[in-house]
Amino acid sequence: MTRTDTLADVLDAAGLAGRGGAAFSTATKVRAARASHAELIVNACDGEIGAAKDGWVVEHHLSELVHGATLLAAGRRRGVLFAAHRGSRTAQLLSAAGLDVLEAPPRYVSSEESALVSLAGGGLARPMTKRVPVVTGGRDSRGARIRPTLVLNAETVWRVAQIAERGAAWFRSYGTPTEPGPRLVSVSGYVATPGVLETQAGVPIRSLLDAAGGRHPGAPAVLVGGLGGAFLSPDEAGRLQWSRESLATVGAAVGPGVLTVLDPWTCPLDVVGQLLRYAAGESAGQCGPCMFGLPAVAREWDDVVLRPSRAGEDRVRRRVELLPDRGACRFPDGVGRFTASALRVFGAHLSLHAGGACGYPSRRSESRAAVG
Amino acid sequence: MPPSADRSVASPVLRVDRVACTAHGVCASLLPGSIRLDEWGYPIVVAPRIDEEVARTAIRLCPARALYLAQR
Repeated sequence: MTRTDTLADVLDAAGLAGRGGAAFSTATKVRAARASHAELIVNACDGEIGAAKDGWVVEHHLSELVHGATLLAAGRRRGVLFAAHRGSRTAQLLSAAGLDVLEAPPRYVSSEESALVSLAGGGLARPMTKRVPVVTGGRDSRGARIRPTLVLNAETVWRVAQIAERGAAWFRSYGTPTEPGPRLVSVSGYVATPGVLETQAGVPIRSLLDAAGGRHPGAPAVLVGGLGGAFLSPDEAGRLQWSRESLATVGAAVGPGVLTVLDPWTCPLDVVGQLLRYAAGESAGQCGPCMFGLPAVAREWDDVVLRPSRAGEDRVRRRVELLPDRGACRFPDGVGRFTASALRVFGAHLSLHAGGACGYPSRRSESRAAVG
Repeated sequence: MPPSADRSVASPVLRVDRVACTAHGVCASLLPGSIRLDEWGYPIVVAPRIDEEVARTAIRLCPARALYLAQR
């Protein structure tokens, strides 16, 4: 048995799943990478809105991160690439440590797995169609060969080093049987002390928010997973746990480990509108359903906020239904999930708008103008 | 092995390479039961599991070479 086989077996026993959002079995990816002699990219981009944990790993556990990458790259000659956004502090730290940095442009989709592979291969940092998983290579849409590449999230690679050092049983002493291991969560937005927390699956979300100094009592919602995630109502944020099972009950997921507490003074419908317009601008413009679909969703959203109606909500829903599984990457899927959850959590507030009674300070001058 | 048994083992699905697709709409004409088009002419695959031979014809005739069969 080779060293890499042993490593994959330990990762299997530990039950490590990728921490970039997809939660795919790391052992399975590592075995596939070995079979295809794949190169390694460590993704430290923190591409999701509110994400900060991969930069935190680089800042606080760089030697373990590099050790994990070395274990994963065993037996291969080419250097490991560490991906970070161009001009970011993370990129500076990686460069200063003498590592090979793959500098991705600071755009939402540029840190997606296949976008990094495209960038590493001399192309643009745009997602590629994955007719086969990038870990096995395959060809891009123009028929050019894709170099087989193992792309792992920085936290995942750090966990690999920890598991190799401390063993699968140590790893499984954290979390739950289905989601084992210590894990990082970035908490941002309207909390007293935003930052990265070391935690595990199964803890109350409330405890994570409390550890970040507590959420503002007037916060209209908590966003889990950024632009590819879902909103929780204040009640849900108070009673759900940080786990796949618990979050799934409201259509949310652990994703890349991000919690964002919304601004208590700004109408959340406007926040959603801003984020949807941002999303529309972040489409790489490659796939029709995304490049036309996201601006259409943003437009329909603004429309239903301006003139709330059941028919308007249905128009948004129909747009959202056309997003999943129709892009080279999962960006449109994520924005669809985000929008559907906004309708779910802010539906009641939308009804208030229909009566001209928003109540958030950000809109007060406007409603006065409307009344007067 | 008879073709039907073969299909039940492999059971490929029709997929669209969304980067390659430029909304010609040929697939929807050839496979009306499996594909319809959105308002911009991009395919919506409503029934991805289709007869492999029929799929191969559509794959061959797609002007953008954007259709393919996958295992899932």
